[in-house]
Amino acid sequence: MPELPQKKVGIVACSGEEIAEGTVTRLAALKVLEELRPQDTVTICLPLFLAGGEGESAFARFYPTIAIDGCDLRCAARATEAFSGKPAAGIVVTDIIAEKGFDPPQGLRRLNEAGQQAVQETADRTAALVDELLDKKWSRRNGTFNEETTSPVTTTSPVVQACACGSGIPVQTVEIAGRPATIIALPAIFEQFRGAGKGPSAETIAAILDEVKIYNSLNTEDEKAYRDMLSREYSTFWGAEEQVV
Amino acid sequence: MNDTTRVIIIPCSGIGKTYGTVSREAAYEVIDEMCPQTSTLVPLSKLVLGDGAAQTAVAENRVITIDGCSLACATKMVEESGGSVNHQFAVLDAYRRHRQMKPRGISELNEGGLQLAHALATEIAAAVDELQGEENA
Repeated sequence: MPELPQKKVGIVACSGEEIAEGTVTRLAALKVLEELRPQDTVTICLPLFLAGGEGESAFARFYPTIAIDGCDLRCAARATEAFSGKPAAGIVVTDIIAEKGFDPPQGLRRLNEAGQQAVQETADRTAALVDELLDKKWSRRNGTFNEETTSPVTTTSPVVQACACGSGIPVQTVEIAGRPATIIALPAIFEQFRGAGKGPSAETIAAILDEVKIYNSLNTEDEKAYRDMLSREYSTFWGAEEQVV
Repeated sequence: MNDTTRVIIIPCSGIGKTYGTVSREAAYEVIDEMCPQTSTLVPLSKLVLGDGAAQTAVAENRVITIDGCSLACATKMVEESGGSVNHQFAVLDAYRRHRQMKPRGISELNEGGLQLAHALATEIAAAVDELQGEENA
């Protein structure tokens, strides 16, 4: 298996700058990312689903994702579902405040005590959800949980360090049947096969195709075009002058 | 003055780097302290969601964006939402102009970050005044 980013949980905060609850989402997400579950979580800026590339838009399919929203508008959850994948879980700060009977948070720049309480509670609940989600098997092909089969990915350390300005998901844009297509995880898959000393051959390309299918959806009728593309790209990657026949 | 004639300020919503925090701090300083009557803030998340009121606000008003990094999400989202950006500020550019103000911290900015945000806010406030001057001319 290629060295893809290890299984982590994605955190997407609404970060709504016009309400104090938006500040709560931001600080709670940071608390989880930096203090409570730093090894198990990654984040992405919400706008990157639209302003970023294919790797960014694959975020919620690649990582089971928790959306943290400040209010009922649920910008983070709805935008994540619309532009990336359905969040695995969602938290709404106003619901937590109502449930716990906290005073309304105040202070966009510096939260009051009630706001700090809401941050702690939201972060604690998010961390609990992270633990819960890590225990389940996630299909990166479907972007859903898969309880029936074992996880297809045995992962090690991250290839690309994720940060708020990118998903950390390695992608490569290639040409398939004359059209550009972005293939998730392809650079890491190629690297893994080359590292194992597997030169371009029909057998290697078939194995690479099986790996590609784990992270990308492709129809059966597209397989030949994918095989041709992989033969061409892997030969180039390997440094061979002739394509596989 | 009602909201429809205020200059819209849109900061980066990034939470992973200190530059996002600087952009927000500068935006808050402008709308809270420097230009409370002539500027207002629209959160980027609403533009991402396609919120109608937010889209109308950026389409019908003068807009200043503050981007935290080269991906320029704030500027891109305004343009994708049907608006045009009158002034685009970038925290990295501000830092290049004020090298002595090195920002650190995300949840809470250090002194350098607060100084940089203040310097940026001063530039943005001047741009707000300029846009308001054009509006009233």
